[in-house]
Amino acid sequence: MKHDGLVKGLLAAAALGLLLWGGIPLYRHRHFDVAVVTGPGVTGVARLSDYSPGLKHTLADTSVFILQGKEPGGKVVLLGDTHSNEPEGLLAALIFIENAVVEKGTVYVIPFFNNSGGRNTRPGDGYPLYFEVPTSWGAMKLRMGNRDASPLDQWPDPDVYVHYPDRQLLSFIDVRNVNRTWPGRRNGPLMEQVTFAAMEIMRRENVDIAVDMHGAETMFPVTNCIVAPEKSVRIATLAALTVKAAEGFENHVEPSPAGFRGLSHREIGDYSATLPFLLEAPIPFLDQPTGPKTTKFLLDGKDPFLLSLAKKKKLFVPYDESGWPLERRVGQHCSVILEILRQFSKKSPQKAIVIRGVPRYGEVVKNGVGHYYLDPGRADAKTIVMN
Amino acid sequence: MPLVMIGYYAISAFLLALLAWNFVREKKSPDNLVLYLLVMAPLVLRLLRVK
Repeated sequence: MKHDGLVKGLLAAAALGLLLWGGIPLYRHRHFDVAVVTGPGVTGVARLSDYSPGLKHTLADTSVFILQGKEPGGKVVLLGDTHSNEPEGLLAALIFIENAVVEKGTVYVIPFFNNSGGRNTRPGDGYPLYFEVPTSWGAMKLRMGNRDASPLDQWPDPDVYVHYPDRQLLSFIDVRNVNRTWPGRRNGPLMEQVTFAAMEIMRRENVDIAVDMHGAETMFPVTNCIVAPEKSVRIATLAALTVKAAEGFENHVEPSPAGFRGLSHREIGDYSATLPFLLEAPIPFLDQPTGPKTTKFLLDGKDPFLLSLAKKKKLFVPYDESGWPLERRVGQHCSVILEILRQFSKKSPQKAIVIRGVPRYGEVVKNGVGHYYLDPGRADAKTIVMN
Repeated sequence: MPLVMIGYYAISAFLLALLAWNFVREKKSPDNLVLYLLVMAPLVLRLLRVK
């Protein structure tokens, strides 16, 4: 080969250039922190590692926002971003943190439950690295994450994930999926330590209710619903009927299958006294036969291919030209949570959980999601938590 | 970081060193040079904890 050194030098420089071009945005995404402004109801901020020490100094550790009421009552844990490519849960959790004032009881909110997944990207699907929610004070920039934790934080994957403690064989990738690693264990893989921390909050603090917020494809049958095990199904049914009658949106109840292990709606109920609920809002962005995965599509949920499929009755939710915008998805989560708490409080008045300041479905649809977020640029620095 | 993960990083570093050595030693084929660089890319990204 002629000019051997020159050819190698040029090729190596080109490869280095490509690595930097592709790698720097990924590095920045992984280390990008979101400013969360603690609202008037937040009385403390803990860390997951306070409940599972193995998480300390890892990117799986994350903030737990505590909203303690003036009067004692029941306790609820709200989980957002269990799957970090389903941002409805995160955005609803942030609405609670920035707006809720608790009159009775205590609310624990973990908006970035799979913090490692929120710093991971989805290879091959052309997902954006970030998305922006419009607000009155500008665009609120958030990371678009992946369903699973980053292999930089938990690696290698096993050939088959043997679930703990049931020993059910699950897909290898589910070892990094925090909705398959419940109830977790103190010294297990990192994602089992994450779910163990949440279980410890529920056990130590005697939490009554846990709500895990998700989004699901319109072509997936378990969508637009509340998934509940036997012990939660009465409250879930009353909540579903009430929001349909009073607020005009559908949110049916799906039973939690007893034979499918590792899911929050199954294991939380089986391994603690807490009543679990898993909320699914339809997110067209996750469906496979769609156009490009743009941030606009993520926000408005409009896609011509899904519209065509809807006309052929291939979707599990109603779908028309208006798509399934973020406001509806987040508004549903807010209303269903408030309704679950109301039904629980009616059933157990001595453990009532009373919250004000959180908008319901109609208000979120009317005002937009961004209306409910505080401006970190104007907030007191002491009230900002970077996550 | 668990021991098995450290072991995997060590294996990645070893493979990267082998590829780099072959890249330096290659005298005949420019195609092989490109191939070595392509195979090195994910190993470099992993060792630098980028992806």
